[in-house]
Amino acid sequence: MNEYTLLILLLLISLLWFYFGNKTALSLKNKQLKLNSLPHYYGIYVALYSIIPSLFSYLLILVFDGILFSNLIMEFVPKEILNSPDFNKIIVLAQIDNAVRGIYFGEQPDWVTIASNQMIEWNNQSLIVNFFCSISLALGIGYLGFKNIHQEFRSRNSVEKIIISLLGLSSIIAILTTIGIVFSVIFESLRFFAIIPASEFLFGLTWNPQFEGAERAGSGQEGLASYGSVPLFVGTFLISLIALCVSVPIGLFSAVYLSEYANKKERSIFKPLLEILAGIPTVVYGFFAALTVAPLMRNGGSLIGLDVASESALAAGFVMGIMIIPFISSLSDDVINAVPQSLRDAGYGLGSTKNEVITNVIIPAALPGIIASIILAVSRAIGETMIVVMAAGLAANLSFNPLDAVTTVTAQIVTILVGDQEFESAKTLSAFALALTLIVITLILNFYALHVVKKYREQYE
Amino acid sequence: MNKNNSKMLTADEASKIVASSVIRRRKKDARLKTYGRIAIGLAVSFLIFLFVSIFSKGIPGFFQYYVTLDVYLDRDRLDPKGDLSPESLYNGDARSIVLESLYKVINPKGRKEKKAAKKIISSNADVRISKMVLDNSKILGKTISITFAVDDDIDSFLRGYIKRETPSSERRINDTVIKFVDKLSAENRISYKFSDYILTGSASRSPEIAGIKGAFIGSMLTLAVCFIIAFPLGVATAVYLEEFAPKNRITEIIEVNINNLAAVPSVVFGILGLAIFIGVFGMPRSIPLLGGMVLALMTLPTIIISSRAAIRAVPPSIKDAAYGIGASKLQTIFHHVLPLAMPGMLTGTIIGMAQALGETAPLLMIGMVAFIVDIPGGVTDPGTVLPVQIFMWADFAERMFIQKTSSAIIVLLVFLIFMNAAAVILRKKLERRW
Amino acid sequence: MVSNSNINNVKTKTIGEIFSKDPKIICRNVDVFYGEKQAIKDVSIDIASREIISFIGPSGCGKSTFLRCLNRMNDTIDTCKVKGSISLDKEDIYDEKIDVVTLRAKIGMVFQKPNPFPKSIYENVAYGPKIHGLSSSKEELDFIVENSLKDSGLWEEVKDRLQSPGTGLSGGQQQRLCIARAIAVSPEIILMDEPCSALDPIATAKIEELINQLGKNYSIVIVTHSMQQAARISQRTAYFHLGELIEVGETKKIFTMPKDKQTEAYISGRIG
Repeated sequence: MNEYTLLILLLLISLLWFYFGNKTALSLKNKQLKLNSLPHYYGIYVALYSIIPSLFSYLLILVFDGILFSNLIMEFVPKEILNSPDFNKIIVLAQIDNAVRGIYFGEQPDWVTIASNQMIEWNNQSLIVNFFCSISLALGIGYLGFKNIHQEFRSRNSVEKIIISLLGLSSIIAILTTIGIVFSVIFESLRFFAIIPASEFLFGLTWNPQFEGAERAGSGQEGLASYGSVPLFVGTFLISLIALCVSVPIGLFSAVYLSEYANKKERSIFKPLLEILAGIPTVVYGFFAALTVAPLMRNGGSLIGLDVASESALAAGFVMGIMIIPFISSLSDDVINAVPQSLRDAGYGLGSTKNEVITNVIIPAALPGIIASIILAVSRAIGETMIVVMAAGLAANLSFNPLDAVTTVTAQIVTILVGDQEFESAKTLSAFALALTLIVITLILNFYALHVVKKYREQYE
Repeated sequence: MNKNNSKMLTADEASKIVASSVIRRRKKDARLKTYGRIAIGLAVSFLIFLFVSIFSKGIPGFFQYYVTLDVYLDRDRLDPKGDLSPESLYNGDARSIVLESLYKVINPKGRKEKKAAKKIISSNADVRISKMVLDNSKILGKTISITFAVDDDIDSFLRGYIKRETPSSERRINDTVIKFVDKLSAENRISYKFSDYILTGSASRSPEIAGIKGAFIGSMLTLAVCFIIAFPLGVATAVYLEEFAPKNRITEIIEVNINNLAAVPSVVFGILGLAIFIGVFGMPRSIPLLGGMVLALMTLPTIIISSRAAIRAVPPSIKDAAYGIGASKLQTIFHHVLPLAMPGMLTGTIIGMAQALGETAPLLMIGMVAFIVDIPGGVTDPGTVLPVQIFMWADFAERMFIQKTSSAIIVLLVFLIFMNAAAVILRKKLERRW
Repeated sequence: MVSNSNINNVKTKTIGEIFSKDPKIICRNVDVFYGEKQAIKDVSIDIASREIISFIGPSGCGKSTFLRCLNRMNDTIDTCKVKGSISLDKEDIYDEKIDVVTLRAKIGMVFQKPNPFPKSIYENVAYGPKIHGLSSSKEELDFIVENSLKDSGLWEEVKDRLQSPGTGLSGGQQQRLCIARAIAVSPEIILMDEPCSALDPIATAKIEELINQLGKNYSIVIVTHSMQQAARISQRTAYFHLGELIEVGETKKIFTMPKDKQTEAYISGRIG
């Protein structure tokens, strides 16, 4: 008996209710009574009545016992661990969780064994509670639904009402996700700004996050940690700029060529080829940048006497540029194609060359859309993570030189939050503050781009 | 402006002027066309360069060097307890049996040479013997020839990445080892064949036995969770917003919200998973269930947006026809609109799934980066996924991991190509309908 | 050069007078294909200097297609192939030596739907002279714009707002702006593809009046759905049916005593 069998049991019960509902309706029909809806609607009605509340209680208990127990179990964690500076709730929970599963290496501390035993006991109790609650709901409310069945009952309308409300409920998930994102960054960011003043974060010129433990270990190094995010934003800006220098000309000229010069065959070959670039996972680009492009650039640089860092902004930006070519070319291609043929005809009718039609008629008309595509590409470049983590490095240099190693906002978020963190330290919290700024920037860019595109569509529709 | 003496050009004058400018203008036109060609050429050559660089490294990664040895499978030493249980075999002395049969071929003299000889065979050789014995205990007590993977340094040497000419002090393997390897090749005991490990092995720090099976299964589990959550939710939301949602403030907010979610950087979804699912709900880290949930939230906007487009593309005449014979709104949608919109919805979903399959950053943050040797048996077992495996391997220093990483990338790309091809076929089917 | 001897020596099924004394455009045995489909079959006709000729016929009869062949607007459609000869001033316009840019500068075009560029009124008219380099100074350009707008009868209405967007004008004004744009490059011939079909009767009357004026200086070929319009403005009329040129002649004659039965049926409203 575990969670899965309980779930299957609940499904079986609702199936059973379907059978009963259907059968009752059929028997009414056999008595030559005219039913309001098809018999199976009665079955579905009862089944929905049974499964929805029971599934809801099932999931509720499953989710909340996790929350409850993970807090209660802290009673079993020794005081000295709870109060130690590098206490991390998630690590402790993982330790207990592993013991519950029976995965551990070497000797376990006593408290872990006790806590895991307690956890197993609680889990069993919770499962029993869950079993009784859900099963009784499935049977009880299912029976209430079953009682509703009579000849006049409009089961189809009721079923449809239930389904429509379920559809409506699922559209709330998107809102919940946003709320979740906002909550997960706002609170931690506020705690960060309580430790580090926002002015230092926004305008400070050195980024050197340190775990508090590390600070204490090296005595007198308290002043080492600094959280000025300017170098990160400069790095992000630099890499995005390089990426745009690669992708904007290539993307735009490709779009112009494909939509105005290419014949059907060329278009059918090259358009999908360009789109492949967008489908390649970013981790592959990162690997390519770190192991192929960066060494090439360093060697090429040393040939002409330039000192290129092995993790240069140039390599990361260049590869990122390749990645966002299709974002610019596809979107621009779309907006160029949306320019009405009548405008092209007007241009050609006056004796314009293709070049003149493109530069004087099409580009000006498509400009808002093209700008929007570039903005979206920028927001893409700013949010891109893997390429910079793998190829741009982690050195927070405040530098505008593309040959230097720089780091970006996303790369810092990942390095800070991957692995074991201390949840209370300023270093961990700083990742949330960085994420908050990142979200704000990309949202502003996105809002603006959508606004431009909307305006543009209105112009031609 | 009328005061000057100019008058309207006659047609003849005008056409003379036009004719004189044409060559210059045509050149300009040709130049723009060339720029377009160059741009496309560049983009395509980047693509080719990327593929060539990955495939040239990755194809050899599917192969590796093996050494064939005649091993006497001593029953007492392999199975000290004599019950053929895995524990007993684990406690057995397979390693030294393998080494002894190696020594018979290459005759190392003294401790130093023996120490060098130990480096030749992968540390995994004993596991291979245990497995063989477990599969077929009749081989105990016999002498049979078995092939073992060579150690990654030897592999790199045989591939020519570690050069004989390099001074011994700068090489990762010394002259004695090279001497032994030469001896083995002279006796035709070294072979180069399709790797046993790359597709069936799981994560390991030793590159010669590392494989992608665990990560691959992890990816499939994660993707399955992602699909089960995202597809129904996405379609339901799309149906609601297209067909039922009242045109009011709340609907508007939901729509704007979905568009914005599509633009949120993927790393932010990792933070959401970390702070909410792990931090608040107390879910365990590193499990495919959690990964799938995070990726589902990430792909949801893609699926919703494409599903709405697919629903909108169903001609209203079909709906009218259904209403005309008295179908309810829901019946019309479920019987007519959804089946017709399904190819479009699936196309969007496949594209979303392909995105999820290649996604790395958010999974790093919810702990799927942990070093997990076990192959996950279910969605609640800790596991990792292919892109994360690629990320981890790319970080390792051993030369052989570069090839293995590229091989893993090839597997990932092949999957993505299949998924995208499926999407293209569906889209074609969709286009043909009306 | 198309040799003089065989110009007027052509086999044709067309009834009526396809030749003119002072031909500007000479079309001989023109076939047009869209891929496999033949849209125009063996059309031969002359278009004289400073005449207004209208093409009439039921929908899909190929009159617009034929019109677009005259300034090679069909070049923009990949699958379109033109056979036979069309010459302007005795030069074959489909010859490789002919640049389509110079050709279109000589043969202007006005389209069915008014299609001003999303730019100012001034820029719309000045665009042609600018790209072709017809003016060497701002004053000359101003002059061309003013004159073209005057010729198209729009000057009085827009002279105070030359910098406002051309798309802000009414439909009839937009179409006159497009005509001004066409005459600003000093063409010899203006092709008009149903220029009034998107306009109301008052705007249509203004455009018709304008066409009559312009006919003094330009050859005008106009495709129209309205027989009354053809009768009001054109000197000659050509009747197309299913890609063939059935009958050509003086407008009066075509409308009063058509020789062909099909033409008669169309004129009297039995087909169309």
